[in-house]
Amino acid sequence: MRKFKVFADFKEEEAYLNEMAKKGYFLKKHSAFGFYHFTEGTPEELYYHVDYRKFKTQADFEDYLALFEDAGWRHVYGTKNSLNQYFLPKDGNADDDIFSTKDSAALRYKHLNKICYANVTVAIAYFIAVLIIYDFSLANIGFLTQGLWEMTGTLFWMAFFFELPFVLFRTAPVVLSLVMGIAYAVWGSKAKRIYSKMMEDEK
Amino acid sequence: MNVSKYLPLTETTFYIMLALRKAGHGYAVMQKVEELSNGRVRVAAGTMYGAIENLIKQKMIMSVPSEDSRRKMYQLSPLGLEVLALEIERLKSLVEVYQQIESEEA
Repeated sequence: MRKFKVFADFKEEEAYLNEMAKKGYFLKKHSAFGFYHFTEGTPEELYYHVDYRKFKTQADFEDYLALFEDAGWRHVYGTKNSLNQYFLPKDGNADDDIFSTKDSAALRYKHLNKICYANVTVAIAYFIAVLIIYDFSLANIGFLTQGLWEMTGTLFWMAFFFELPFVLFRTAPVVLSLVMGIAYAVWGSKAKRIYSKMMEDEK
Repeated sequence: MNVSKYLPLTETTFYIMLALRKAGHGYAVMQKVEELSNGRVRVAAGTMYGAIENLIKQKMIMSVPSEDSRRKMYQLSPLGLEVLALEIERLKSLVEVYQQIESEEA
């Protein structure tokens, strides 16, 4: 089974995975596009923990996995570049945590915020690049057939459908970059709010 | 370099640095910290990894050759030793001030 979900709050994500396990759905994979892949089995009480990290090298990633395994965690899913890392306590204990200080638990949110904002920057840069290419006129990415809108009947529809794929090809990246930019901005600011709140609570 | 900017150390960082006076991998450090603190300070895996990453970035510890192909070995750097010594001085002076005031009141 596949489910599309996006979380800014790792606690909510962990609670969601625990809830799914209770219904007999166990996390198998989490794709970069936000899909959770589940396998079906006998319902179980599980306590998932999510870490969020970037690794420079495969050796760093291996060292990280070895540390968690040594410390009693089973790595459920995560690759060197997946950012999200999913763990279950080997002893099934509900009280185990992957963080022992509030600072380190809060840092996850700071990392998430950074990556989201980096993606917003990429989306904006892309959008500006497209505007430059089309001479700062969005009209230049629409229908370009001369006199198209004066045509009538079959001629109009033939010309319209002939150019439509080209128009979609030109507009889709623009729309997509705008939507992604806004989505990442919302996601990143949510993570930032949680981070600030966690750091405040500490004082 | 202004070493005092790293001070004061958090208790977790202090124990991790203390444990890394001798080379060790992540989990060995977790065990050593628990032992040194008589079980009072327990560093969880995620916190441990983040602390190592951070100390490497600050050049207070360095990665040393490891016999284990999966587990990296870390050790305190000369800078780390200096910071640790400075922290000890800071803590000592705190205790001294306290003792002085206490003896004056007595």
